[in-house]
Amino acid sequence: MVSFPDELLEAVDTEASRRGTTRSGLLRTFADEGLRRRSAERAARIAELMRDCASHGGDAAELVKRHRPRT
Amino acid sequence: MTSWLADSSVLLAREDVDDEHHHHARLLLERPEPIATLDLAYYEVTNVAARAWKDVAAARRLRGVVAALAADGGLVRADEALIAAAADLATAHTLSVYDAAYVAAAAAIGARLVSCDIRDLVSGGLALSPEEAASV
Repeated sequence: MVSFPDELLEAVDTEASRRGTTRSGLLRTFADEGLRRRSAERAARIAELMRDCASHGGDAAELVKRHRPRT
Repeated sequence: MTSWLADSSVLLAREDVDDEHHHHARLLLERPEPIATLDLAYYEVTNVAARAWKDVAAARRLRGVVAALAADGGLVRADEALIAAAADLATAHTLSVYDAAYVAAAAAIGARLVSCDIRDLVSGGLALSPEEAASV
């Protein structure tokens, strides 16, 4: 169950009507677009950060294990 | 749409151009699909970059990657329930609790675990390699 303030719901219904779709259809579209946009921003941010990635000799998985605290 | 949880080895492989998983780690982290990691990765990527590589710039980049995942809602935080699940998994599969925590974190959010740890996680069916995940 999702609840919205009346004013926001009214705006959603107005926009759904304008687009010729239903309230549910519009909310599905917004949710899908929002999630994709956020993931696309994350992907772009990581690509930007890693522009200067470097050479370190490989075998990351083994290095993680080797540098964990010993019990 | 599949949701993924990457362990620290995948993030490190993205940074290290020599790593045999570098290309597929890059594909996985830079496509617009949900992907998360566990807060333990903050410590592990920094530990390898600072202690093994002695590269503060790489450590900064890797912390940025974890922060970018967190900003996308993709940072799982360890709590009592997750560590309890990890302890059970560690016993059942003869893993370290560190590895088991990633397995438990993926299960907790309904994601599939991706790891470069072929020996302990991928070969045991507990994770997919970056190559396998990138091809899904």
